[in-house]
Amino acid sequence: MRSIYVCHDTIQGIFSALYDAWVYNRHADVGIEFVGKVERQLFCQYIDVVENEKKVLAVERLIQKNLGENTYHDIYYALLADDAKKAEAVFQTMQAARALRNSRKIMEHLSNDSVTKVFELSRRVGNEAHLFQGFVRFRELQGGVLFSEIAPKSQVLTCIADYFYNRYPMENWMIHDKTHGMSLVHPKQKPWFLLTHDQADLQQMGSLIQVEDDYEDLWKTFFQSISIQERENYCCQRTHLPLRYRKEMVEFHERKVDRKNIGS
Amino acid sequence: MNELKTSLCVENKKLNTLVIQEPFTLQEKLHILGAAAKYDVACTSSGVDRRNDGTGMGNAYAAGICHSFSADGRCISLLKILFTNECIYDCKYCANRSSNDVVRTSFTPDEVCTLVMEFYRRNYIEGLFLSSGILKSPDFTMELIYITLHKLRHILNFQGYIHVKTIPGTNGELINRIGFLADRMSVNLELPTAESLKKLAPNKSRKKILEPMRLVQQNRIANKHELALNNRAPAFVPAGQSTQMIIGATPETDYQIMSVAETLYNKFDLKRVFYSAFIPVNEDLALPAVKQGGPPLLREHRLYQADWLLRFYHFQTKELLDEKNPNFNVFLDPKCNWALKHLEYFPVEVNKADYKTLLRVPGIGVRSAQRIVAARRLGILDFQDLKKMGVVLKRALYFLTCKGKMMYATKIEEDYILRNLLQIKESLPDSVTGMAYQQLSLFDVQSNGDKKVS
Ligand code: SF4
Repeated sequence: MRSIYVCHDTIQGIFSALYDAWVYNRHADVGIEFVGKVERQLFCQYIDVVENEKKVLAVERLIQKNLGENTYHDIYYALLADDAKKAEAVFQTMQAARALRNSRKIMEHLSNDSVTKVFELSRRVGNEAHLFQGFVRFRELQGGVLFSEIAPKSQVLTCIADYFYNRYPMENWMIHDKTHGMSLVHPKQKPWFLLTHDQADLQQMGSLIQVEDDYEDLWKTFFQSISIQERENYCCQRTHLPLRYRKEMVEFHERKVDRKNIGS
Repeated sequence: MNELKTSLCVENKKLNTLVIQEPFTLQEKLHILGAAAKYDVACTSSGVDRRNDGTGMGNAYAAGICHSFSADGRCISLLKILFTNECIYDCKYCANRSSNDVVRTSFTPDEVCTLVMEFYRRNYIEGLFLSSGILKSPDFTMELIYITLHKLRHILNFQGYIHVKTIPGTNGELINRIGFLADRMSVNLELPTAESLKKLAPNKSRKKILEPMRLVQQNRIANKHELALNNRAPAFVPAGQSTQMIIGATPETDYQIMSVAETLYNKFDLKRVFYSAFIPVNEDLALPAVKQGGPPLLREHRLYQADWLLRFYHFQTKELLDEKNPNFNVFLDPKCNWALKHLEYFPVEVNKADYKTLLRVPGIGVRSAQRIVAARRLGILDFQDLKKMGVVLKRALYFLTCKGKMMYATKIEEDYILRNLLQIKESLPDSVTGMAYQQLSLFDVQSNGDKKVS
């Protein structure tokens, strides 16, 4: 009977599932599915994974030691993607690596479908994370806290954490991922941390977010003045900045009060 | 009495509107001085990696980061503004020339600093691109810019990207001070030849433009030596220099333009030369009339492609163009164009040709050439392998053999290949193909363009 491990769609969840599958079933064809998305089938055995830090660390070490840092990076990124089969692809990649003389070269074996899948997912997540380095917009809340909301397809928060950590060491800031209900929090001059399952009290934040931020209006003014009419090209704009990102980008929000023709 | 009062009142009102210019709000200044800077194209945030030292705000990434895209599809990376649109000069192609009647205003150094810091905090921008018209004199204006940058760097501890335009004629000592605060500096060449410059920018001269370019180049060399001895020494213009030329306002050929670009890369160590398709904002007898079809974007694109060939494909201008054929064929990319004129070099054998030869094959790019060289160490390559490596076979097949064989039996004749190549639809970037929009919007240039502020 095929074993199917059921875990949460988080790094902690999937790493724990990989641990169980590897320890008890490393030669078998196993499934890894996510809580809330399981479609029960006959002749399968469903196993609820106990998720804990110990398993996470063990799998992290296993991959880093045997498959190398670069492969670990690809696997980690792939597991952040929005994809139901990602964990199985990673497990199969680990299995395929065992068969190689040099397991560290596993990511070069693109003739293996699972490896190709991990590779592509990793690239997809990397690209999305890269876009958010530029597309994140902060608003200033009362007390000077910078707050941002994003709606990414992948769980990009930990991919962009170091980037913003280095950029704003002296600010209190927070980025909330609406899609996955997670937040990245950085208290001034301290390391960043991740809050999952909405531990953050966003209700309370919500009221603060309504505060007017004068610089948003200034930014919109600049955004509109900088475009060259003779070269206007909305297709090109949409290729580079797809519509799905714009909801959280203030320069694409309607102005509250229509400004009169400034300066004339 | 009453009548007198009213008429006085009217007089007063007139006076008010005529003489007393209301001070502009920051919002209005940003609108005016942002719009005035939009024609500058050299505004990437690239060329330098710098981590924050943990005490200030900002850092820099060599690859550059786009924060948004404006309605013309261009990346917005920096807060691109003029410090002032006042100007004592009268360059024919410029909306801010002294003879134009436009609304004039200037930022204060503090205003620029506030905008940069607050925009940067909200992750709107990578940094500042500061250009300027000339208020009183080049030195006077650049001194204000120095004050702005000094405050940003040393008082507000801003560690993001700064690009400054140098005004020709600024004194060397001042340029030197600014260079230690900026990441990139640039002087616009404006037009490809000295004659055109004289005609369209009578207050500027080629000599005055090249002077600061040379100075920055020399200071960068000196600074590199210093940094080699002491890596904590302050860096001078670490992201290097760039420049831009206006294309299509004057009669220069592509050959002349590319020769100038080549000289700038080789003799002045420029990081980038930008080409900017001429967009008329003034009516002037010295300028070409507004053309149907909008700015020469396709020509601009061909020049960028050729620029790429100079910088990454080991081509020289004189191989691509000459006195007899001084312009690119707009229907064909410059590399295909070159290959067709030099069929004697082809076909080349993929399994033997050296890296530089591979680079010259249409359909093979830098990445695929590198992959070919790496992969053929492990085995002999055939056309299927090339496809996987990203070679565009429908273009390359006329110029290649694998194991001595061509992909199809094909004639190696200029006309024959040309006809076939022209049938392949070239994937031009969106920035070139949005022509329909441009034709439409051309007619409201006067009402909506720069004149909006007048
Ligand atoms: S110097 Fe020439 S190009 Fe520059 S702002 Fe003045 S008129 Fe315009």
